[in-house]
Formats: sequence, structure tokens, C-alpha cells
Amino acid sequence: MKTAGMRADELEKDLKHLLGGEKVKTEPEDLLAYSSDATRYYAQGKPDAVVLAESVDDVCKLLKYSNQYEVPVTPRGAGSGLSGGATPIKGGIVLDMKRMNKILEISKGNMTARAECGVVLANFSRAVEKEKLFYPPDPQSMDVCTLGGNVACRAGGPRGVKYGTTPHYVLGLEAVLPDGSVINTGGISVKQANGYNITQILTGSEGTLAVITKVNLRLLPLPPERKTMVIVCDSPQLAAELVSRIIYEGAIPAVLEYLSVGAIWLMNSFRPIPVAQDGQAYLLIELDGTPAVIAADIDLIKSISVKMGAREVKIIEDNKQAEGIWKARRNLSPLVLRVYKKSISEDVTVPRDRIPEMVKAVSEIGASLGIPTGMSGHAGDGNIHPGVQLAEITPEMEKKAEEAIRLIIEKGIEMGGTVSGEHGIGLHKSQYIEKELGKIQMDLMKRIKYAFDPKGIMNPGKIWPEEKA
Amino acid sequence: MIGELDDYKDLVVKCSHCALCEAICPVYLEDMLETHVARARVDIIDQTLCKKTMPVTPRVKDIINRCLLCTSCTRECGAAVPVHEIIIAARHALYGGKRQNWLKRYILKNMIENRGIVGLPAYLLWTAQQLHLTPAGFPSIILSTFTSKYRGTYPASSEKRQKVAYFVGCATNSMDPETGESVMRVLAHNGIEVVVPDKLMCCGIPALAEGDMKSAQNAVRNNIAILADLDVDAVVTDCTSCGMMLRAETGKVLPADDPLLKKAAELAPKIFEVTDYLNKIGLSPAPTTMQESYTYHMPCHRGWTPTLDTAPIEVLSCIPGMEYHAMSEPGKCCGAGGAFFTEYEDLSGKIRKRKLDDILSTGVKTVISQCPGCRSYLASALGRKTRVIHPVTLLRKAYGL
Repeated sequence: MKTAGMRADELEKDLKHLLGGEKVKTEPEDLLAYSSDATRYYAQGKPDAVVLAESVDDVCKLLKYSNQYEVPVTPRGAGSGLSGGATPIKGGIVLDMKRMNKILEISKGNMTARAECGVVLANFSRAVEKEKLFYPPDPQSMDVCTLGGNVACRAGGPRGVKYGTTPHYVLGLEAVLPDGSVINTGGISVKQANGYNITQILTGSEGTLAVITKVNLRLLPLPPERKTMVIVCDSPQLAAELVSRIIYEGAIPAVLEYLSVGAIWLMNSFRPIPVAQDGQAYLLIELDGTPAVIAADIDLIKSISVKMGAREVKIIEDNKQAEGIWKARRNLSPLVLRVYKKSISEDVTVPRDRIPEMVKAVSEIGASLGIPTGMSGHAGDGNIHPGVQLAEITPEMEKKAEEAIRLIIEKGIEMGGTVSGEHGIGLHKSQYIEKELGKIQMDLMKRIKYAFDPKGIMNPGKIWPEEKA
Repeated sequence: MIGELDDYKDLVVKCSHCALCEAICPVYLEDMLETHVARARVDIIDQTLCKKTMPVTPRVKDIINRCLLCTSCTRECGAAVPVHEIIIAARHALYGGKRQNWLKRYILKNMIENRGIVGLPAYLLWTAQQLHLTPAGFPSIILSTFTSKYRGTYPASSEKRQKVAYFVGCATNSMDPETGESVMRVLAHNGIEVVVPDKLMCCGIPALAEGDMKSAQNAVRNNIAILADLDVDAVVTDCTSCGMMLRAETGKVLPADDPLLKKAAELAPKIFEVTDYLNKIGLSPAPTTMQESYTYHMPCHRGWTPTLDTAPIEVLSCIPGMEYHAMSEPGKCCGAGGAFFTEYEDLSGKIRKRKLDDILSTGVKTVISQCPGCRSYLASALGRKTRVIHPVTLLRKAYGL
């Protein structure tokens, strides 16, 4: 038990008394299940209890109690994050928010929606699309990840290139502060200038300030049509250069993904992709809008691609096939494990015009260390997800991987990029954030943290490395 | 080999922890507790039975038993972790084939060897059913089987196009011979000579669910030896689970050095579900017009050919006048899971409730599905106004057979 001065059986008894037995899980199997997120290698400790919140009231009671006894609380959505952010490294309580999963309102007139934090993104998207509305953020875990988790981590996704990411759609939040009080930040109006923007401070706070319980989101009109296309290139450089060229020339795809040859091979093994498999890099594009706009964009992209020397431009006419390709794309991260024992997906994001340089740098870093690297990601917004892969897990390879990641991140920051575009910092990147932001800003962040959470119970050990006593 | 947990040690740790199984596991979606989703189940099996860092508690057993073996997670897993095979291996490791009490084991053994509930168990269960002692949703027991009527070779009723063997599963044989009758008539009418082989056993899948490898191997060995020696163009079945077992799992049930493996591998590509098969050869003659609306519940065990999931819709679209009304999420599990619903009645009932809502909101009175387990479990809750039938039954009606 890591919690100061309290035994595990006391904690269990108290929680069950406070919330009812069914919402509190403390068997070893439950604690194992809640010990990591989608980065199993960051599972460093188990919680002492798992709490399944069903209402704001549950959250208030729990936080008030935890704050009083200084029990760490790690809020959790689907546990699909890629930063180790939902791992309870200090023990204490994992607070599972997935049972708070009601969509409260979809307003066609105001083009906004209100929902509980545990609503699964894909369910939310489908619900608003039924009303001919559109919620663009599309992290690749959209079939399971929750709105609350998306907001807490500033989740992005392929559509970021045209539509931005989660923070661009958050208008207001209901959140519970560590002392158990409830705040309603922002609102449901699309314009707000009402003092400090607490909404956006909580957005991206990774569960270190408060527990987000409800979200107010802005919606767009649903584009009438979508079309998928694939461009086959004979060199990674060509594909990388095409990315900024396509956007510069005025076609703005909803999605513009750069995929390495390895990625295409893996995706093809999951769902067929009807293009030549021996290209050196691929661009996977989705266009949306009216048929006329899509047709014009296709013509433009085709002519740019041909002019610059792309080998093949393929429009996917069959919708079922297109769906399959995007499904394979969403599965790319687990697909990599069909070939490698371990894969670490980085999130460093660079200005779009530096992508060709970044692609080159990553493959050089991999080659110089003798470790496989891959680049597959949302190139349209500079978020190209360099990956480091291990064929065997040995201390030597782990060391090389760590070194490769350090070099890749430093390179990205040097190019004016950021250490994380959409995954968040969590544990994974906490050692690099100060390099990007500097000490003064880190100290400011810590003072903000103190203002919300003076006892430091909220998701301790995340965003910045724990200070040594 | 399925059943040997040792053979899965490397695959158990392949799970990337991506959590995408949370979107599809029917048990998790009901319980809303991550301990009951594939990602955690696999980790728990790894820690308790492979690495043995955690003890096997009653809770561990419950987590391993509380799985429908619907295979949804295996089908959708990006990292290709064969979750259902790992669960089967874990059950084998935990119980060595003795998960159930002696009476249930006796019934299962009898079922596997005689392809269905026949003889003494049939009389016992029939009596129990009359006294309302069987679990709710348990299929009706009848006392005369399909194979007591059909055995041997049956000619095509028009010019012969192909010759197939018909693998009749336990459910069709002992509880739903009418579906078997429909398969026979529709195939013959389409110019297909049909062999109904004698001495086949159950496909073995109910034994796998129990982790009872001995009975599964026994059935598989018997069936491969018979089917592989037949001179036929295909082996068809009306049941998606039998088909999955014969085509995709049979080879995995045998040890790597088993001489029957080669025969099993040669046989596998010939196995088809009957509507999938009919689409491949094309209906001839074309059925005449029949005005009817239907909806389709996709069986979970549908991943063993790429066209199986939509095969019934395709074949019925050849009947002029048929109207397909898709239910929302046709691929969602109905909760039956073979005999799972007898063990976890409440949980299965909740899973089924969602399916029933989806069916009822189509407003259609005919539901088709190629899984006899789904059909009987859904029918028992739908009442007499809505019928749940095999797609081949509609085909037979359209042909006026």
C-alpha cells in the first residue's frame, strides 16, 4: 500500500461504505486489469482499488474522501491512451468513468451537444450524424475511447489537418475539484470571453487537476459526401513533399496520412488495399464536402501527384472497401505487433514544411543505431508518429530504443515542433517536456496544479517527472 | 495446438493493450468492467496460468468461464491474438475437461458421439422439459432425428451440377430436422447430388468450449477420416459453428505431428456454409417471386470465409419480392454462446435484450440466421408472432418445395 497511513482493507471498507459495494473493486484480478493503458510497458504499479463512478455525486464523494486522506486518484476512460497517463503509478484509486455514458442533449439549433464524460466517441459521432451534424475529432481508438478522456488528453486524429483537434470543439465542462466541489466552466455559447479560460486549462490537464464529468461540445454540419484515395510513391521523400504541396495548392483533405511501406503491408494483411504493394511510401487521403468540391479536389491532387512523379493515384469507389482501409488504419498500432515484439509510437509533431526533413532524420537515426523505425501518421498536420520497433526485447535493444526516441524528440523540438501533438505527456514524455517549455513555464504549470490540487492527489507523477524529496 | 496453454505463451503477450476489444466484447459491454474484456482476460491468464505470479482464485475461474467464445475479439484483433483459443486452453488447464458435473459431462459425451441429444439423454431432457426443469431458452427436445431418416446418397432432381457431402450438426440432427429437410430439397432442386455420410460425430466445438480436448480430438479424428475419403466437390453445413470448427479449428485441435493433419488441411477449403456455397455455384433454377420481409442476425462464428457474413442476404436477393430490413448492428451477439446461457442466465438475458430490441424495431416478423443456437435462444424470447429460421427455409418456400 503506497497510500500514507492507510491499510488496503480500511480503504476498501471505507469506499464500499461511501459508494456501495458494487462500484468498488479490489480483487487482485481487477487491480491487474486497471494497472495499465495502451502502453503495457508503462504499467509500473497496481491501484489499491478501482471505483466505477455512476454519477457526479459518486465522484464528489470519492474525491472529498481521497482528498481528506490523501489517497491518489487516477481518472480513467477506456484506458486506450498512449502516454501511460492512466496508469496508477502511485497506487490509490483508479476512477473508471465509463459508466457515466449518457448523451444529454444534441441541439440542432445551436449546433452543440452535451454529454457525460464516459460516452464512447464513436457512439457520440454516430448519434450526432443521425441529426446531420458532425463531430470531427477522430483519435484512432474512437471505437472505445471516451469524450472525457479525449478532452483530458487533447486527443486529435487524422482529421486534425482540416478540422483541428478536440480542444477546438470544447465549449464548457462540468468538473469535480479534488475537494469535492463541482464547477461548470465555459458554457454552451460558441463565443466566450469570461475571464481565465478554465475550460481550456482542464482540456489537456490529463486528470492532474480535476475530474471532468460532463462536456459541452461544438458541432459542424455533416459533409454530404466522403471519398478515399491512395497515392503510391516511389520514395519517402516524394510522399513527404507531396503533403505540404497538396495543401499549399489549395486542396484541403479531411485526412492526409503518410504511410510507410511496412504500414501498408500490415494494413493489407488485415483488410485488402487495392494498390501496388511495392511502393516506398503511401499517402492515404479522405476528402469530404459536396460532390463538386470533392471532384475538384481529386482533379487537383491527381495533377499535382502526377506532375511530381507519383506512381499511382487510386480512388477507392467501393465504400465497404474504403471503410475497411480506415479500419485497418485504426488498427495499425496493434498490427505492428504481428511482426515486432514491442512498438513504441512517438507523437512528436513538426511544422508541415519540415516533414521531409523529419522523415529523413528518423530513418537516419534508426539506421545509425541499428533499430527499425517507422513513420506513419497524420502528415497533413505534421503529426507523423515516428515509431521505434523491437524484434526482440533485450536490455540492449531497450537502451537503443530509448536513445532513438530521445534523438527523434530532440530533432523534432529543434525543428520548432512539439513533443506531443495529440497523445499527451503522461509518463511517456514527462522527461522531455521541460526541454520544450523551459523551467519558468514548468514552474508556472506547477503553481496552477497547486491551485487546483494542493494535496497532489490527482494523477500524481504525470506530465512532469516526480520531484525527488 | 488448442488446449495446450504452453503453445500460446508467446501469443498471450502479443496483446498490444490497445483496448479496441472494449468495442466488441458482449460480456464487457454488459458488465462495463475492464476485468471482463479480452485485454484483461489474456493478462490474467498470463499471470495465473502461464507465469504463475498470481494464484488461481474462484474469481479467476469465473473470468475464464464468463466468455461466450463468440470470437469477436479474435476476429477483430489487430495484433492477431487468438483470444478464444487462449480461453479454451485456459479452461483445459484449469479443468482438464471436467468443468461440468458428471451428468452434464455424460450428456455432452453422448451428444458428441451421437451428434445431438438422442437416446437416453433425450428422454431424460424431454421429461425434464415437460416438468419445466430445463433452463429458460433451452431448445425443444424431439425424439426422432434427421439422420434416422436420411443416410446415403440422394440424387439431384435436375441435371447434376455438383456432388456435396452434407455435414449435419447436432442441433439440426436432433432438434431442428426441418432445416435439414430444407437443405436437402434446395440442394437437390439446384442440381446437386447430396451424400449424407453415416457415422459422423459432432463437429467437436461443444467439447472445445469445455476445454475437453480428448472428446474434441475424438470427434475431429472420426470426422476427418470419413469426410476426407469422400469424392465430393464440397462439404456443406447449415451451421456456422460446425463450419468454423471443420474449416478453421480442426487442424488446431490435433498435435503438430498427427498424420491426419494433412487430410484436414486438404479438406478445409472444401467446407462451406450452405448459403455461402449456393452463392458460389449460383442458384439454378432461379426462384420465383415471393413477397416477404426479413431481417438478418449474423452469427458470431462468421469469420471463416470472407463472404459468409452477408451470404444469406445475397442468396435471398435472388428471390424477386424479398425485402431485407437491416437491424442496427446485425453482427452483435445474441447472448446464447452455445450452452453459455444455461450457465450465465442473467448475463445472457441482458445481452439478448439488446438484440431483441434491435429485431423488434425493424417491425419485421421473419428473422433469419445460420446458427441454430442463436435461432432457438432468440425464438424462445420472441414469442409466436416472430419466427426465427434458417435462410434456406425461405429458399425452400420460394421454390415451393
